Amino acid sequence: MLAEKYPLETQNILAKYPPDQKRSAVMPLLYLAQRESGYVTKAAMQDIAALCEMSVTEVASIVGFYSLYYDKPAGKYRVQVCTDLPCALRGADEFLSKLCENLGIKVGETTPDGLVTVEAVMCLAGCDKAPMFQTQSSEGITYHENQTIESALEVIDAWRQQEKQA
Amino acid sequence: MTKLVSLTIDGKQVTVPEGTLFVDAAKRVGIDIPVFCYHPKMEPVGMCRMCLVDVGRPMIDRATGQPVMDENGAPKIQFGAKLDTACTTPVSEGMVVIGASDKVKAARKDIVEFILTSHPLDCPVCDKGGECPLQNLTMAYGPGETRFLYDDKLHLAKQVPLGELIYLDRERCIQCGRCVRFQDEIVDDPVIGFFNRGRSLEIVTHSDPGFDSVFSGNTTDICPVGALTTADFRFGARPWELKSTSSICSQCPVGCNITFNVRREAASGGKTVIKRVMPRQNETVNEIWICDKGRFGYHYTESDDRLTTPLIRKNGELTPASWDEALGLVASRFSAAGEGLLTLGSGRLSNEDLFNLRQLTEGVKGKAALYTHMAGGDLTAQVGVAPGTDFGEMGKGTAILVAASDLYEEAPIWFLRIKQAAERGATLIVANARPTKLEAYASHVIRYRYGAEAETIAAMTVDRGPTTVAGHPSSVADASKAFAEAENAVILFGSDGLGLEGSQALSAACANLLVATRHVGRANNGLVGVWSRANDQGAWDMGLRPLTVDRRPELQSAKAIYVVAADPFGDDPGLLATFNLQPATFLVVQDLFLTETARRADVVLPAQAFTEREGAYTSGERRVQRFYPAAPARPDTWPDFAITAQIAQKMGSILEGRVPAAVFTQIAATVAAYAGLSYRKLAETNDQWPSVGSGVRRKGLYFSGTAYENKQGVGIHLPLSPTPLPPVNMQSFHLQGEGLLAVPVTCLYDRGQTVYPSALLHQRIGEVWVALHPADAERLGVVANSRVSLTLGGAEFDATARLDESVPQGVALIPRSMGIPINGPEAVEIRAGERVVL
Repeated sequence: MLAEKYPLETQNILAKYPPDQKRSAVMPLLYLAQRESGYVTKAAMQDIAALCEMSVTEVASIVGFYSLYYDKPAGKYRVQVCTDLPCALRGADEFLSKLCENLGIKVGETTPDGLVTVEAVMCLAGCDKAPMFQTQSSEGITYHENQTIESALEVIDAWRQQEKQA
Repeated sequence: MTKLVSLTIDGKQVTVPEGTLFVDAAKRVGIDIPVFCYHPKMEPVGMCRMCLVDVGRPMIDRATGQPVMDENGAPKIQFGAKLDTACTTPVSEGMVVIGASDKVKAARKDIVEFILTSHPLDCPVCDKGGECPLQNLTMAYGPGETRFLYDDKLHLAKQVPLGELIYLDRERCIQCGRCVRFQDEIVDDPVIGFFNRGRSLEIVTHSDPGFDSVFSGNTTDICPVGALTTADFRFGARPWELKSTSSICSQCPVGCNITFNVRREAASGGKTVIKRVMPRQNETVNEIWICDKGRFGYHYTESDDRLTTPLIRKNGELTPASWDEALGLVASRFSAAGEGLLTLGSGRLSNEDLFNLRQLTEGVKGKAALYTHMAGGDLTAQVGVAPGTDFGEMGKGTAILVAASDLYEEAPIWFLRIKQAAERGATLIVANARPTKLEAYASHVIRYRYGAEAETIAAMTVDRGPTTVAGHPSSVADASKAFAEAENAVILFGSDGLGLEGSQALSAACANLLVATRHVGRANNGLVGVWSRANDQGAWDMGLRPLTVDRRPELQSAKAIYVVAADPFGDDPGLLATFNLQPATFLVVQDLFLTETARRADVVLPAQAFTEREGAYTSGERRVQRFYPAAPARPDTWPDFAITAQIAQKMGSILEGRVPAAVFTQIAATVAAYAGLSYRKLAETNDQWPSVGSGVRRKGLYFSGTAYENKQGVGIHLPLSPTPLPPVNMQSFHLQGEGLLAVPVTCLYDRGQTVYPSALLHQRIGEVWVALHPADAERLGVVANSRVSLTLGGAEFDATARLDESVPQGVALIPRSMGIPINGPEAVEIRAGERVVL
């Protein structure tokens, strides 16, 4: 149960909204749930539905609507490469395919060690600094701009080292 | 008074209230603007873009604020640079709307082409084919071919069960959102929703069971493509092969207007069978909606277990007999019984059946009684809602009190209509011993303990408050003030936790409250009984009265009992024992099935189902409505009124038994409230808005649902009885004893004879259960969802325990017609674990 595992966080989130509009708390609660397991589990959706006095289907719809919520497990780090037009003009497509080649996976897949999932996404508002990607993990969201394939692999290697030490 | 606005649509002048949307204004002058996502019952969203029109507004001189005139002195019209959606744009004065220009046609053509990019061309096997708005609009507006690449077409799952009742074909979905919006806006069961966005958008459900709403079938009607289909009808028939017959739903007192679609088919061995039940529009009754019980519950009429021949007990066994022999025996025994004849009829019968039953019984000075657990049908005839009443019109200024009723389960369409009235501003007061779904829309919630129903309503009359209710800022005093001060007020009383005695007291208290606050004798004012059967009100009107305690002595002497469309032994094995049923008592049962009572009968007579014959029901609002024969009758069966007439004939009296219309003429001649009515009058229709013409052989492309137009009668609302209201004796009713109290509650889906034969509903019906408060469960050592055994009325039963914090402490809720006979509140003993059969 989300409320039992994170009593303080849940309370703080709910306290921000009027008691008759609990559903307003759904976004931060989903974020909390996702931080826990990297994606929003079915059980978490049920917990949040109960907390926000919504139906589970409504909570799931929100997870489906926003591209930053996930309903399926993936790698610890999600590498999200923008491939919209301005980025593509600056070589984002090539960057993405080389990145995948180097990691030995296809777009949307996860490395065998479960560390990295590569995804192609829509505009991240970093057109002038393409190729670029954002990473999403339990530590939050980080932007990596003006990337080359080498600099990107360095970032990933750093995660691997960090993982080994941990 | 709403301001009226004049505008021109395709050269036609139209004057409509301010705020009207183009799409509706156009329909008023007979112009169909094509739509997919728009639905006149829901808020517009402008998602599909099919309804694009060219909108021009009068030019205004900015300096003077006056309209600019052209050389002819007419206001100059300025058209927008882009087209507007007719479904989201409200009208304004002097507008000129063009829906038939080349520009508009080109835009619509593009939209259809776009919508069809991934829509499969499986119309030949699609259930919607033939009555499909997408098909129709493609034929009318589409390009005929596509420029999109076939290889880029999305291929998606074609058989996604959203539950066991509704299937989704993801490929066919055009993402109009009508189904999601219906569940959200109209019924507030948001159990289906969108998932993902853009081309990956899909409809999903996460409820348990899937698509957990009793209104789910309606989404298949309003789906403008074949994406949502019912498990009952999918791949069952093509719409153009179906014949349609108007009928009235027989499942509850709302009296929803329905249409039976039937087909003669090889798949059923050449028989003509019912393929589906569709809503038939009646804006004052059910609009264009029906609940899933009405839609899927009809299968009992086609059950193989139906009785097919009269049975006579010979040597202790029920053996087939001829009608002549059976009727002769019955007639002679009824004649011999004379005033010892007791007739028990139920609200499952039509007015004609009940009328004849009473005629036959009174012909020999016997006693005719209504088999029911509810009282007050005499009161609703006097202080009921007057003609002109329409829940659809109620809003600000109207108070609606729902007493002792879980409307979502007892009468779903009333739940819907009252919820909507509350949303329009009506003051909703919900009084119940436990929370019900309707409370979410209530301005006042009154919580009482089971047994104090009448007392509580009586307290509203004299305003003894304030009695505060935990968790709710309202009180009985506030509620009674709001009720008394409302311009119009209606009370619906149900039977949540009530038996006949409790119902008697409650209905009397409700009638008193209405009289005291002068909410009687006018439209949108008065008392409505949430009866348990479709025609209970008609039974009261035909003069049948329930077997109340005070009537019991006169019934103890019954020598012959004629039970029609009721199963007292099945419902309560002890009931007839209380009437001193002797082995010598001659028991005749007339029914569709070999019920528990029929098994004990001396003669069993097979009747026809309501789908096989004509008749008229009187709804809880006291609207008399006709139903027509939809399916051919089983050979050698007769409608109830005809069987009764034949018995009477053999007893030497003449009753009308040829056609129900003739019986109805007699009703009109003898029952005051029905004076002047005839089958012809009941078949009259009126203009209904919104117009639902669409689909096979139905005109119009606008509304694009599959609800049927009302062509065979909207029914007639009965006038109130002119006799003054007699003083009502408010019986005080108190429960005796300590310990756990069992109270009956109503579930929409139960194990009743007219529901259970629909195998499709078994998953929703589930096992017999008993609901307890967790604290009581803990005390008894009962854990959630475990099997328990219980002792009720001296008999032993097993059930699954449901723990529910909304159940009052000290109370066990027992659903009616689920396997545990319960007629009213009584003491119960519950033990953990199943009973051991020795």
